[in-house]
Order: sequence, then C-alpha cells, then structure tokens
Amino acid sequence: MVQAVLKVISSLDSQRHARMEVLKEKVEEEEAAEREEAAERAERGEKTKRPMEVRRGEATMTQEMLRDLERKLSEIEVSVPEKLLTFTKDTIDTSKLPFSYQSNTLKEEQLLQVADNFSRQYSHLCPDRVPLFLHPLNECEVPKFVSTTIRPTLMPYPELYNWDTCAQFVSDFLSMVPLPDPLKPPLYLYSSTTVLKYQKGNCFDFSTLLCSMLIGAGYDAYCVNGYGSQDLCHMDLTREACPLTMKPKETVKEQEKAPPKKYAIKPPRDLTSRFEQEQEVKRQEAIKAEEENRKKQEEARLLEQENAKTDPLHGLRVHSWVLVLSGKREVPESFFIDPFTARSYSTQDDHFLGIESLWNHKNYWVNMQDCWNCCKELVFDLGDPVRWEYLLLGTDKPFLSLTEEEDEGMNDDDDVENLGKEDEDKSFDMPPSWVEQIEISPEAFETRCPNGKKVIQYKRAKLEKWAPYLNNNGLVCRLTTYEDLECTKALEMKEWYQNREDMLELKHINKITGLNVDYFKPGHPQALRMHSYKSMQPEMDRVMEFYETARVDGLIKREETPKTMTEYYQGRPDFLSYRHVNFGPRMKKLALNSAESNPRPMVKITERFFRNPAKPADEDVAERVFLIVEERIQLRYHCRSDHITANKREFLRRTEVDSKGNKIIMTSDMCISFEVEPMEHTKKLLYQYEAMMKLKSEEKMSRHQAWESELEVLEILKLREEEEEAHTLTISIYDTKRNEKSKEYREAMERVLHEEHLRQVEAQLDYLAPFLAQLPPGEKLTRWQAVRLKDECLNDFKQRLIDKANLIQARFEKETQELQKKQQWYQENQVTLTPEDEDLYLSYCSQAMFRIRILEQRLSRHKELAPLKYLALEEKLYKDPRLVELLKVFV
Amino acid sequence: MDTPETEDAQLHKLHGGVGKRQPGKGSLRPGAGLPGPPRSAQHQESPQQCSLEQKGRMNRLYDMEPRVMDDEMLKLAVGEQGPREEAGQLAKQEGILFKDVLSLQLDFQNILRIDNLWQFENLQKLQLDNNIIEKIEGLENLTRLVWLDLSFNNIEAIEGLDMLVNLEDLSLFNNRISKIDSLDALVKLQVLSLGNNRIENMMNIIYLRRFKALRTLSLSGNPVAEDEDYKMFICAYLPDLVYLDFRRLDDHMKELAEMKHQYSIDELKHRENLMQAQLEDEQARREELEEHKAAFVEQLNGTFLFDSMYAEDVEGSKLSHLPGVGELLEAYKDKFVIICLNIFEYGLKQQEKRKAELDTFMECVQEAIQENQEQGKLKIAKFEEKHLLSLNAIREESELSNIETKIVEYSEDITELLNVLMMLEMQLVEQLEETINMFERNIIDLVGLFVENVQSLMAQCRDLENHHHEKLLEIAINVLEKTVKGEMDEDLPDDLRSLFVDKDTIVNAVGASHDIHLLKIDNREDELVTRVNSWCTHLLDKVHKDEIMRNRQRVKEINQYVDHAQSELDSLECGDLLD
Repeated sequence: MVQAVLKVISSLDSQRHARMEVLKEKVEEEEAAEREEAAERAERGEKTKRPMEVRRGEATMTQEMLRDLERKLSEIEVSVPEKLLTFTKDTIDTSKLPFSYQSNTLKEEQLLQVADNFSRQYSHLCPDRVPLFLHPLNECEVPKFVSTTIRPTLMPYPELYNWDTCAQFVSDFLSMVPLPDPLKPPLYLYSSTTVLKYQKGNCFDFSTLLCSMLIGAGYDAYCVNGYGSQDLCHMDLTREACPLTMKPKETVKEQEKAPPKKYAIKPPRDLTSRFEQEQEVKRQEAIKAEEENRKKQEEARLLEQENAKTDPLHGLRVHSWVLVLSGKREVPESFFIDPFTARSYSTQDDHFLGIESLWNHKNYWVNMQDCWNCCKELVFDLGDPVRWEYLLLGTDKPFLSLTEEEDEGMNDDDDVENLGKEDEDKSFDMPPSWVEQIEISPEAFETRCPNGKKVIQYKRAKLEKWAPYLNNNGLVCRLTTYEDLECTKALEMKEWYQNREDMLELKHINKITGLNVDYFKPGHPQALRMHSYKSMQPEMDRVMEFYETARVDGLIKREETPKTMTEYYQGRPDFLSYRHVNFGPRMKKLALNSAESNPRPMVKITERFFRNPAKPADEDVAERVFLIVEERIQLRYHCRSDHITANKREFLRRTEVDSKGNKIIMTSDMCISFEVEPMEHTKKLLYQYEAMMKLKSEEKMSRHQAWESELEVLEILKLREEEEEAHTLTISIYDTKRNEKSKEYREAMERVLHEEHLRQVEAQLDYLAPFLAQLPPGEKLTRWQAVRLKDECLNDFKQRLIDKANLIQARFEKETQELQKKQQWYQENQVTLTPEDEDLYLSYCSQAMFRIRILEQRLSRHKELAPLKYLALEEKLYKDPRLVELLKVFV
Repeated sequence: MDTPETEDAQLHKLHGGVGKRQPGKGSLRPGAGLPGPPRSAQHQESPQQCSLEQKGRMNRLYDMEPRVMDDEMLKLAVGEQGPREEAGQLAKQEGILFKDVLSLQLDFQNILRIDNLWQFENLQKLQLDNNIIEKIEGLENLTRLVWLDLSFNNIEAIEGLDMLVNLEDLSLFNNRISKIDSLDALVKLQVLSLGNNRIENMMNIIYLRRFKALRTLSLSGNPVAEDEDYKMFICAYLPDLVYLDFRRLDDHMKELAEMKHQYSIDELKHRENLMQAQLEDEQARREELEEHKAAFVEQLNGTFLFDSMYAEDVEGSKLSHLPGVGELLEAYKDKFVIICLNIFEYGLKQQEKRKAELDTFMECVQEAIQENQEQGKLKIAKFEEKHLLSLNAIREESELSNIETKIVEYSEDITELLNVLMMLEMQLVEQLEETINMFERNIIDLVGLFVENVQSLMAQCRDLENHHHEKLLEIAINVLEKTVKGEMDEDLPDDLRSLFVDKDTIVNAVGASHDIHLLKIDNREDELVTRVNSWCTHLLDKVHKDEIMRNRQRVKEINQYVDHAQSELDSLECGDLLD
C-alpha cells in the first residue's frame, strides 16, 4: 500500500506548489476539502485494492488475491483482541493514574488543534497517503500527541548510558505484543510508565520507551512510524544468525617489513623454474574457483529454500523503530535500532521498507520522499522541508539554505497556518510530556526480562537468558547451536554463569565430541583458568590451564592422556618450563587402584628448562630425561649463541663389582658426553660422579613432584565435583538485599542502638518531677521553694536509702533466725533423722548460708555506697538547670 | 671465657667474622674473636677434650721450627680437606689439581712465610690463622678469594692485598698492625676484623669510609678502643655499619652519634663531594678527549695547534714585537682557529658517519649469521629426532642383514646432514664475503673523502700561513729599511734589534719562523692521515679475520658433530658384533 501511496508523491515539487495555492483558500473551502476527503476515505477500500506494484522480481497480485487477503486479515483481527486481553485498558487501573494522564492541559489542547489542522491539510494534499499517526489515545482514553508521550529520561544506571545496552534492556525488559492490526498503527499509545509496569507492549511502546531513554542519554533519537518486514514485525530472528555464534573477524595484521638494510645479505639464488611455479599457481586457482563456485551454488540453493515462504503482506506491515541521527554522542553515522531485538541496522537495510513519519519530544516530521526502494535512498536531513514536512516551527534542526522562491513558500506556509488558527503563536513549542518520570527499580533492572527469563530463537541457535540469582546454580545465559534449521540436533551448548563461588564463568559443551570445557574467572581456590575434559574420572584425557601468577609453582597448563602427563611452567626460580611424564602400566598390588595408594610407575620424565642467564650456556641444562627403568639420565645443554650444536651428556647407572669384589663407584664409560668445546674439568671422574649424584637426587625430586601433580589432579577433580554439587553463589557485600549476614548485622546494630536509646532515656529520669508536680504549675520557682524542693528531694532519697537498708537488714535477720531454728531442730532430732532428711537439712543449710552471705554482702555494699549516692544526688541537684540559679548564692 | 656477649654477636660469629671455626673443632681452638686470656692459657683449660693427635700438633706449635709451605704440606692439606667417602676414593684415585680447590685450611702449621699458593687460581676461602706469618705476600694469584683469615699471626702492616678484588671477609685479628691502609682494592669488603692490634689513631677509621659494603667491623683490643668516644665516633663516621665488635649498633645510638659529630662529618662529606666532583670532571674530560682521538681531530677545537706553532718558534715570538705585527698576528690567529674548528667539526661528523656505517654492517652480519645458525639448528634438531629413532631401531633389530641396511641408511643420513650443514655454511661465507667487500669499499671511500677534505682545509691553513709570512716579511723589510735609515722612532727589544743587521738575517729569521709553522701544520696533517688510514686497515683486517675465524669454528663444529654421530654408530656396530 505504502508503495502505491508514496508513488503518488514522487513528483513532489509540483505538488508542493499546488498545495501552497490551495492553502491560501478560505477555511470553508478547507472544510469542503475535508468532506471530499471523507468521501475519499470511504473509497479507500477501493483504493487499497488497486493492484500493487510490489517489489521487483515478485509476482504481481491479482485483485482476488488481495480480497482473499483482506478476508483473512479480518479473520485474524478477530483473534487478536483475545490475545491482547491481558494488556488493554480494561486491565489497567486508570483511577490511580495522575491527573496529567486523565486530562489535557490548555497547551496540549492547542497542540491537538494544531495537529488536527496539520492532519487535515496533509490529507488534503496527499489524499493517497494513510492518515498520520499523531494523537492516539492513552490508557485513560485521552488523546495525546505522540511527541508528548516521549519523556526524555537519563537512567541512574551507568549500564544504560550507551545505546546498545539501552536497547538491549528495553528488548529484554518488555515482552512483545503484536499490533492489533498489523496494517495500521495502533489506536492506543500508552505511557512508558504503564508499559514498564506491565512489562508488555507493541512496537510503538517499545520505541517510545527506548527513544525516551536514548534522548535522555543525549542521543539524537527519533521514533519512526513506518513499514517493516515480517521478521521484524514479529520479532522473528529465526532467519538471523545469532550474534554470539559469529566469530570475531580476525584482524589481519600485516607486519610492516623493515626496509632492507644497507648491508643486508642477498638471499641465495633461487634455482627453481618460474614457469613451473606459475603453472602450479594457476592450477591451484582453478581448483579454488571451482570450489567457490560450488559453495556459492549451495548457498543460493539454501537461500532459496529459506525464502520459499514469501510474505503476502510484504511492505504493508506497520512497524515502529528508533532512528539515531549522527552528530550527538559521537555517533558517526545515522542508524536504526529495532527495539524488539535491540539490533542496530544501517539505514540501507532491507528489513525497513518505508517511513511515514518520525518524531522526538520536540517535533514531528512527515516523510515526503519516495520509498520505492525501501529506505535506501532516504536522506535524513530533517532541516530540509522538501524532504521532511515538519509540524511545528522552531525546530533546532539547521535549515538548508533555501532558494528565494522556496523561502516565499515558507512564509506562505506560515500565513496559512495563521489563517487556520489566528491566535496561534508563530513558534509554538511542544508542551512538556504528560508522562510521569520513568523509573525502573533496581530489582526490576536486575531481573530484566519478565519473570527473569527470556528465550530467543535464532537461525540454528537458541538463546536463553535468565536474571542473575534466578537459577540457583548461577546460570544466566545458555546458547544452544543446532546442526539443522529445525533445531533438533544440538551441536554444542554454551552456558554462562554469574556470581559462582567457584568462579565458573562459561561452560562449553560439545555434544558431538562430548568434550566439556569450563572457563573460570581469576579467584578459583586452585587458580584454575580452564578445564577441558570428557569425563571427570582421573587418568583420562584432560587439559587444565591455570592462572600462573596465582600459583606458587608457576604452572600454566597441565595436559593429561591416559599414559602421559605434560606440564608447562613459567617464571620459576629453577627455570623449569616443561615436564613430561610417561606412565607405565600399573603394578598388580591391592584391590584398590588409585593414584594415592598405588601410583602408576613412571617410565620416563622429560624436563626442559629456560636459559638461566647466570650460567654459561654450555653448562646450563636445557633438557634432561630420566629414563627410570633403564636407569639412564640424558642431559642436553643450551646452545651457545655462536654455535649450532649443543653439549650432550648421558649417564648410565650400573652397579657392578670389579674383579676384586670391590664396588665400582664410577668408571669413564658410565658417562658419555659430547662437548662442542671440550672442557677439561668435565673429564674428571670426580666431577662426573658428583654430577651423577646430584642428578639422582634431582630425579627423586622430579618423581616426587610428578606424584604430587597427580595427587593435585585428584584433589582438583574432587573439589570440582563438590563445587558442582554445591554450586553456591557469592553475594557482594554491597548487595544489601541478598546478603543475609550483613542484614543480620544491620538488624543487630539497630537493636543495639534502640536499646542504647532506651537506656539513655532511663538515665535521664527526672528526680525533681514528683516534687515539681506538687507546686502550682506555670509559676517560676522562688528561692525558698527551690531550697525546699532540694531538701525534700534529698530527704526523700535518704529515706529511700534507709528503707532499702532496713529491708535488707530485715531479710537478713529473718533468714538467720530461720536457720537458727532449723539448726536447733536438727540438734534435737539428730538421732531419729533418716539419711534423706539429713540430706535435705544439709542442702537447706548450705542454701540458707549462701542467701545469708549474699544479703550480708549486699548490706555492706549498700552501706558503703549509700553516702556516695546521696552526695552524688546532692551534687546533681546543685547543678540542675532549674535550680542552679536559685541555689547559687546559697552555695 | 665468660665474656659477656649479646645474641647478635653470637649470631654474627656463626655467620662470619673472626670466630669462624669449623664446628666440632671450635672448642679446641682459642676463641679468636674474644678478648680473653692468652691462647696458651685457653689450651690448658680444655685439654681433656683434645685428642692425642691434636695434642701432638699443639705441642708441635711451640716446639717445632717454623715450617715452609711446600708442595707436600699443601697436598696433605688438600687431601685431608677434599671430598669424603666414595667421592674421596675417586679423588684419591685421580688426584686433585690445586686449581680445582675452592677452600683451603692451613691453621696451626707454624708457617712463617706464605708461599707456593700460585696454583690455587680458583681458591675462594683461605685460612692461615694461628701461624707466625709476619708479612702478607704470595697472594697475587688468588684473585677469586672471597674469605681470607690471617688472624693470630705476627703481621705488622697491611699489604699485598691489591689483587684480591673479590674479597668480602678479611680477618687480621690479633696481629701487630698499627695503621689501616692498603685496602683500596677491596671494593667488596663486608667484614673486617682488626681486633687486638695496635691501632692508636682514631683517624684510621675515616679511611674505612670508602668501603660502601662494609657492615661488620671489630676493633676491640686496640688502643683506640679505649677512647671513651670510640663507639660514638665509629657510629658517626661509618653510618652503614651494622655490627661493631660483634654487637649490633642500634638506631638510637646511631642518631646520638650523628648529632654529636654532625659538624665534622658535614665538613668531611663536603670535602668528599668536592673530590668526587673533581674526579668526575676529570673522567668526563678524559672521555671527551678519547672521543676526539677516535675522530682523529683531538685538540683542533681551540688554539692548541696555533700555540704549538709558536711554542718552539724563537724568531716568531721575537718578531711579534715589531710594530703592526701584533694586530696581524691576532687576525691570523682568529682565522687559523676558525679553520681548525672547521676541521674539528667535520672530523666529528665523519666519525659519526663511520660509526653508523660500521654499526649497520655489524648488525647485518650478525643478523645473517643468526639466521643461518637458526637454520642449522633446525636441521640438527630434525636429524637428532631421527637419529634417536634409528639408533633404537638398530639396537632392537635382530636380523643381521637388516642391521646392516639400517646402518648404511643411517650413515647416509649423517653424510646428508654434513652436506646440508656445509652447504649452509658455504652459502653464508659467500654472502658475507660480498657484504664485507661492499663494506670495505664504502669505508675506504669514506676515509678517503675525509682525508681529502681535511687536506684541503689544511691547505687553507698553509695559505694563511703563507699570507702571514708575506705580510710579516714586508713589515720586517720596512722596519729594516727604517732602521738602516735611522728613522726608527720606536724602541725595539735588544734581541729583536740584533736581527735587523742586514736583509739576509731578517729574511732568514722570518723564513725560519715560517718553516717551523709549516712543519707543524704538515706534522699534524700527516699524523691525522696516517692514523685514520691505519685505523681503516686495522678494522678491515679484523673484519676479515673474524670472518675467517668464524668460518673455521663452524666447520670444526660441524665436523666434530658429524664425527660424534658417526662414532656413536661405530660403537654400536662394535657392540653388535661383540654380541
């Protein structure tokens, strides 16, 4: 449809002239035009039924087909509202919405009038185009101009400062609801706050929210009302390759060749035949070309298959997206963002089939360019009134330098507008947005997707996302790639984790080979960086990489096969760089076969070393091989910088006895050496003997270390299993909501504070209060009264102290008397008492004695403290602010 | 023996210092570091611990005549102190060379004179304590020595230590030394023990300031240690010292000492700094001159040449008193110096050019050699891989015929390797030859150009001289004429007047002066040209020689390696045949 409509306005200039003339006419005529237009609208049904010129290469449709289509569409329309029931005005509680939602201000009313006028003129001038999307109803059934629905907001989250993360957030946060009528813009456009609350929306809601955020973040962003492809409108990514599966392009770095130096030697003469070389190259190229050709054909075939289902409504589907113009925030080139998928597209992209209008929070522009070739030839210079018809004057877009003629036209334009609304200010600004401040709570921001879950289907891939802490194993993202388009045969799986205590970051599972690769962030207790394995059983194929700086032994990597173990080191004080251990078959021993109880015998240990700069090269061992079974030790030394061969030495351990029965300690045939520059001291048997002894002890060390490595592998495997089982998540100490410990601590602190407060209140008890209460209220104290007050207070306190002392004394006496009585009774009846009674008596005695002792102590303490307390009160009273003035002279 | 000792001191004793005794024997020896009772008394204190042998030795100490350090004694000591057990058997079997010995202990030997130690080139530790040595000598060859113990001897002066640049620990405890000096060569000195000597003057300590690494010092038992300010003084003047007389110096003490002696130390430091600056200046000047000499234009950046022209020129200096000659001379000098400066600057520039040329050449040659070596190494590595496999295969093969074929294959491999390596080497030789020839041409051109330009500049000098000579002659003849006519109004010095007797004399005098000047200029020029030419020839000779040496080395190396591989194969064959 839009192609058809836009075709009409291809001869724009002439139309514009015509319009100017028309606009000069009186209002009545305008109204007449409106009537005409209404009639036209009635006929629209007919008009849309015109055979459409769909894009080149596609079959033209017959009218019957279109009618069919219409019918089908009407059927679809019936079903759509049901689907949408969850998100219509019925479900929205409009009563609690603020006032600005429920009514229009004066200025907004004016704006609506301006918009209506603009719309009338527009439909008059471009009768073939669809009516503009200007003021849809909001959730309270109040018409609101689209620009005022945009509420520029800068979000408090640093993650939302850039467009890509912003778009990703919008696309994750809202779930998509299709338009009620895929061929028309919606009747309703809700505020972003409502949309955020219900986490649902159509493409217009999406783009309005995204636009608000982007403008808030400083981008030059616009909401676009236009036409998109089916995939775009249905948020269908099944034909797109997943961005996560794409491999980053390898940046081909061509090393700059240093210019040949003056005395650089000439290369040796090349004696091969050039002709043969050329022939070879030609042959290779031919093969390559053939292969490429085949590949291309294959691809074309696949593409054809995929594109078999063409969309009958191609070019008619209404969609809304966001346009970001270059200039602000260092955006080098204008681009589109599809708010559904958060993907950015160039303005030339095939998915975007046409633009009706676009708007930001300040103005509204109507596209006057032809969209016959999608958006490929559109020029986004909003200052050009020929290409973009603006609604309000006073836009901040730079105007093009216009010819005089056009300038006049401009003035005419203004005049006409004035004619329409005489009280209209020349530069009417957009009223402020009626939408409340857009707010996203931190919880909602973290949860992101509705219910914290989202699944996206890509071409041969499925992407699942979860909010952090939603899965108790910390899984946040899973990408499954498939072999076929129907997504039945899984190829591999990638799982991303967050907040794991074992620092697991990514798990890569290859379904075909069964190879698992775990990647870890720094901080694993064993400094693990990567662990690739097929099974968690020990002594199988596996590779472990480590963060070598976190390890004492500088281990970088350990590779294992059933028969060997290879370790790579870096930065060790003994310059060891590599150790390779060959294992033999396990000896039969006990039933229990594990590395701990019955380690596999080592057959051969190969160790390599980096160059130790402190030693001369021909005394610095580069490689040593312990052939344990043969009892041989081979040494290879480093190569001196001016040599091409290196020293070698081989020790043969033989324990033999000479003819006299003495043990042979060392003979010259036990050490075979090759020396590039023969040295004298190495010929000595003593030297060789000492070297061999040293090597033997080192062999022991190496074997021990290899054994320890084996143990470590077991330990790591055990630890990994435990971690997998437990999969505990870490909680940042700054995360006050999740961190139970800190919560408890905080609560405890609060409790302590509260108690402290109570105690303070108690401490501030007023001694004078009961005495002051006896005095007539509101009167100032006289001196006499003050003195009396003080004395009374003190007397009272004294009395209290005496009472207390008496009380204690009385209790003490009572207790003593009782005890005496009991003792008397005991002495009298001692003979007749049963052992139980005696026990009872004894326990009573000890208890009574205890009570008496305590009372005694209390009394003595009271006697000690009473005068002090009395003095303290007196002192306090002297210093009491109410009495201090009156008692001053007295003291 | 109950000397109060702090823990620090004991620790130190274990670590080093004077009390370094082998454990187990320590109790038998006098505590060398301890200012205790005399030695004899100590020995008598612990006789029950002495073995018979040692008792005998001890008796010998006092009874026997002074002994000579002869071969026998040294051999005995080396044998006794050498390796033990199995290694000892081997050592005995083979004998130990003196130059392999690292540590030697010759105490209680009644040695009077240090001798016969020249073979111990690699000796690191030498103990000569408890002898009757009177003079330090015979240590010139022991340059690797780190630890030297000469305590309990009769040494009177420190000397003969100038070659021991690696010495870190020196003990001269209980000797008769009265002055600390002659230690300048011992730049690494860390521990110095000079207790129980006769040092009286406190100023000896200032001498020790030059040893930046010195941390431990003992001076107790010297007259100087009785001074009440002794400790403070040392603390102040040797701030880096950590242990004095086996006790740790605490920071508080150091602070106090520094405060006390601040003024004198500041003064001393100032003087030292001045000296240091002077030394550095001199060094810089010397380096600059070296640089100029390398450019063959030394002392041309001033009036040196001009001054030297007049230095031996008696007539010239006489004639300069003639009226008008003074100004003439000034102008001449200025012009001459300018030309000299030109030569100087040109020389430096050329020197830089030559250096750059040489550097690029060397770099390129190095690169080429490196690359070639890498290739060679690669070939050898490949060969070695194969070599191991085939050796094993031959070893395991049982069929005789198979063995033979394999052996043949293997020796073919070896020949192949030889050929490949040799070809690489020949290729490199050819390439290098070409490069060297190019370099030779270029450097000769550069030198030629330099000489030519310098010669033309020198010719300018000569022209100036000629011009000056003419002017001078003119003036002289004028003056002569005036003198002859008696019109001379000015007074000339007598020796100058004596020249103006007749025309010949004056002309001769002026000529002689001129000749001398020309000679000087010629000499300077000749010197420059000869030196630059000889430098050039030397350089080229060296380049050629180096290349030849390198080639020979490489060929030798290759042959050696191939021979080794072949011999391995041969030994295998023999073994197989025997089996």
